[in-house]
Amino acid sequence: MKVSVSRYTLTSGLLIVAMAVLSWLLWAVVPFSVEFFAFPLNLILFLLWGWGVFELHRASGRSVIARYLLSRQATITSLVLLAAGCIVMGLQRKPATDSYPFLLLNLFVITQLAMVTLRGWRDCSGIRWVFICCHLGLLLALIAGFWGAPDTRIMRAEITAEPTKSALCQNGEVMQLGYELSLADFRVEYYDNGTPSAYEADVEIDGSRVELRVNHPHKVGLGEHIYLTSFEQRGSDTCCIVQIVRQPWRAVMFLGIALMLAGAILIFIRGPKR
Amino acid sequence: MSAGWGIFPIFAVVAAAMGLASFVAALCTRKSLAQWMIRGAVAVMLLFILQLWIVLDRPPMRTMGETRLWYSLFLFICGAFAYRRWGYGWLLGFATTMATVFMVINCFKPEIHDQSLMPALQSVWFIPHVSIYIFSYALLGCATLMSLYSLWGRRDVDDALQSLTWGGVAFFTIGMLTGALWAKEAWGEYWSWDAKESWAAATWLLYLLAMHLPRLGYSDRRVRAVVMVVAFLSLQMCWYGVNYLPAAMDSVHIYNR
Repeated sequence: MKVSVSRYTLTSGLLIVAMAVLSWLLWAVVPFSVEFFAFPLNLILFLLWGWGVFELHRASGRSVIARYLLSRQATITSLVLLAAGCIVMGLQRKPATDSYPFLLLNLFVITQLAMVTLRGWRDCSGIRWVFICCHLGLLLALIAGFWGAPDTRIMRAEITAEPTKSALCQNGEVMQLGYELSLADFRVEYYDNGTPSAYEADVEIDGSRVELRVNHPHKVGLGEHIYLTSFEQRGSDTCCIVQIVRQPWRAVMFLGIALMLAGAILIFIRGPKR
Repeated sequence: MSAGWGIFPIFAVVAAAMGLASFVAALCTRKSLAQWMIRGAVAVMLLFILQLWIVLDRPPMRTMGETRLWYSLFLFICGAFAYRRWGYGWLLGFATTMATVFMVINCFKPEIHDQSLMPALQSVWFIPHVSIYIFSYALLGCATLMSLYSLWGRRDVDDALQSLTWGGVAFFTIGMLTGALWAKEAWGEYWSWDAKESWAAATWLLYLLAMHLPRLGYSDRRVRAVVMVVAFLSLQMCWYGVNYLPAAMDSVHIYNR
């Protein structure tokens, strides 16, 4: 037993070194680009990954890799690596989420978490609901964040009475929206000290009028929403700044969050019981 | 005295007194009295908020003073639930102290009632998000102290330590997830690696590590205490450390500017 413990610990160490070397090699060959993995490549890779995890779990009696991923050392490695990654992000002004080390780290964490979730589905007492809520919830949220990242588009548009059909991506690219936006009406209320207390905009989307407010987005399609973020007064004209977010994997993320919330409430109610 | 804010000091004194009474009752092991007193404090806060809502003719969630009311209410509610769940009297004392601090500010600094609340903060998520976090900070801080205490051979604190850590992590998780749901509603992203979010995630994962250690068969108290202390330091960064961090200058979570 003593021997196998040190072997798995050694595996964790080697794995971290391997991830560091691999990300350096990849970075030297081709710079990281999240757009490269955009649909359909991310979906294909996700399905292959999911299939691989299932097969690996089925072979957990024979496969050395599966046994390592299901070891307690792998769980510790997973948590420590992700925490370390978060601390690095917390120290950066522009967090390096689009980078090879972060990609490999996340790939390891979700693979390990997926294995543990599959194994923990049920034991002799039946399905373990608290375990499933917490682990499957986090897994779904990470899957949506990780595999869905290449498809997420955050765009900004300035809306005036003049109709616009395009918006600006974060990387400076201009995207066609597929619909037309124009500002029909704008109302703002101020506090006594002159700062805005509330504002709302009536925006026409392809001719139909909708009301936009802060914290009250408008849904334009599957996983696509328009958010009112701020406004500018230009002489007598008003210009509204809206954010358009396309997030096709939104439902998966939402399901993950809902499961985790249920898990947290169950943990609070039941406490640290087996 | 007029309705609205005018009658607040009366409600504040009654609520604080009931909170204090519940704490004292808990110390004297009068459990049911303690529970009724803290529920009474919740009811008093709720009554005041309701009457303010009627007088103002809008939900009282727009100014800093109004949000402090909700803090106090939720702290009492969290205290009531947590006491019912774990039965530690100090939880009631903590909840009452924090709630009273917010009420005292409202009584003695009325001029900041009107301090403006930017539109993004005018959301139903704001108050639960912040109050649940404040409460989880207290539970996790206490769990960290207890893990150090357990180093001096006090085996009897192990169960309480596990309960507190799990409870703290549960509250922390809910705080984090309500924040994610709110962020999606406010600007479209559940998670955007804002400095405060990153530190919250690091804190969460470190406490998760402490939570998993005994389950995975690592029973060494020293290792657990080290993890808990590192997690607690990360929690301090998340709570107020980021306010002084150059990396967090673009953060939406910085309030001291």
